[in-house]
Amino acid sequence: MPSRDRLRFRLNGQPVDVFCPDPRILLDLLREDLRLTGTKRGCDLGTCGCCTVLLDGRPALSCLTLARLVESREVTTIEGVTPPQGLSPVQRAFVEHGATQCGFCTPGFVVTATALLRANPHPSREEIERAIAGNLCRCTGYTKIIEAIAAVGGR
Amino acid sequence: MHLDPFELHRPRSVEEAVRLASELSGQCDYLAGGTDLLPNYKMHLNLRPHLIALEDIPELRGHSFERLGAMERLADLEGDPAFRAAYPGIQDAVGEVATPLVRASGTVGGNLLVETRCFFFNQSFFWRASLGFCLKADGDRCHVVPQKERCYATFSGDLAPSLLVLDADVEVAGPSGRRRLPLSGLYDAAGDGIRRTRLAPGELLVAVHLPPSARGQRAGYKKLRVRPSFDFPELGVAVAGRWDGTRVESLRIAVGGVETYPRRFDALTDPLAGAPLSEEALGRVASEVMRGVRPVHNTFLLPDYRRRVVEVYVRRAVREAREGSAA
Ligand SMILES: Cc1cc2nc3c(=O)[nH]c(=O)nc-3n(C[C@H](O)[C@H](O)[C@H](O)COP(=O)(O)OP(=O)(O)OC[C@H]3O[C@@H](n4cnc5c(N)ncnc54)[C@H](O)[C@@H]3O)c2cc1C
Ligand code: SF4
Ligand code: FES
Ligand code: FES
Repeated sequence: MPSRDRLRFRLNGQPVDVFCPDPRILLDLLREDLRLTGTKRGCDLGTCGCCTVLLDGRPALSCLTLARLVESREVTTIEGVTPPQGLSPVQRAFVEHGATQCGFCTPGFVVTATALLRANPHPSREEIERAIAGNLCRCTGYTKIIEAIAAVGGR
Repeated sequence: MHLDPFELHRPRSVEEAVRLASELSGQCDYLAGGTDLLPNYKMHLNLRPHLIALEDIPELRGHSFERLGAMERLADLEGDPAFRAAYPGIQDAVGEVATPLVRASGTVGGNLLVETRCFFFNQSFFWRASLGFCLKADGDRCHVVPQKERCYATFSGDLAPSLLVLDADVEVAGPSGRRRLPLSGLYDAAGDGIRRTRLAPGELLVAVHLPPSARGQRAGYKKLRVRPSFDFPELGVAVAGRWDGTRVESLRIAVGGVETYPRRFDALTDPLAGAPLSEEALGRVASEVMRGVRPVHNTFLLPDYRRRVVEVYVRRAVREAREGSAA
């Protein structure tokens, strides 16, 4: 491939080297080219949080990120948040608290919550509400999601 | 949604960015966090064949009490407790921008230069094609005020009012060098929803500078929006002032989200200096500000309602600033 179209970055701990033209959006690269479909496309415009990934450990909306700008950086998707065996503590808490119904928003919430708990291991209810204010859920009414995150934080 | 082809450039200095923009003469946009530009590009709004990403320019980053780099992420301002304490009004406004996920990428410069908004503009290509395009993108008339050949798209950035009341300056770079101007001079009072700033084509916003007097003011920001997260302002009122006991030393009010540019109301607030602020005087100022703004019907809430809330929010914001503890 022409070197100008080559993109190298780290994805879920592994180096990747892919073809990526300038206008490619990170969400499209992940889902369509790399077939990592855990990251969901909701609105495609920044208004739902379904597409949240971690960029160098911080949450980012992959639908509003140009793929070329992750060159040499570390991207973690929901697949990377999930341990090789079983579930992460956040995922387990979502199951145990009934925090997922249709499940479409869940990857985004889990990634956002994972970033929150890494930065602030024991968040208050208010801190949780603030942190997830950019993730929409049409099913659960949020209460169970907040309870699940609070449980991981030991509150 | 896929984006139409464009070429991405990644300059490493302000000078290189500005040179590129001048070589591409108008056929380019600067890309900061992309949280405003990329949704607009996805909706086919005023596409350019070149994007100049500002990501790799170290000079544009960082913040201090005196300077906010144009590429500083809103989340990084929010995450600094000392900054929060020194500038309560800026912090109020930052915390009300969009959502935490958008603030993780969105920048100070992008917020000050956010595209103006209108119900008939922020729509998909298909939607706009069905109704007929408008002046601001691809068309030749306005759906909001059809009698006029002018665009009324609303300035919807939250940061500008909170920086205007603190007398912030902006530093701008162009092909012939750098200049500094008051933030109020960045916006074009004689322009419209299309010609909204006084930046020359290709000029780059480098930083915001805060004067020493900006610190320790009692300040706040009140935002009217439909949902308490996600939504752009339907109105934003910023206030900053100093009091000596009950006596007003200085008071500034700025309003955004109701016209094509954010603006200050110094002619109304300057005469208040030197005396205590009575409820009657405050009521008068609030109703004058309300009478001074002309929202049109191009956002979710009705203009008349937004205007009335101007009066209420000015009163509340000034009272809260007066009662609040100085930083
Ligand atoms: C769901 C959602 C909700 C939102 N809600 C709000 C809200 O409530 N309040 C609000 O204020 N904004 C809101 N926004 C808009 C946007 O996210 C913010 O204004 C953000 O701060 C823009 O910064 P950015 O770096 O992403 O800008 P970009 O999208 O990168 O740029 C915005 C514009 O500024 C120009 N530009 C950027 N930096 C420079 C520079 N240094 N010099 C010259 N030109 C420059 C770009 O060319 C572009 O035209 C929202 C966006 C989304 C997606
Ligand atoms: S105010 Fe009129 S010209 Fe401007 S964006 Fe809206 S419809 Fe278009
Ligand atoms: S798909 Fe990215 S925010 Fe909705
Ligand atoms: S579980 Fe259905 S959208 Fe959240």
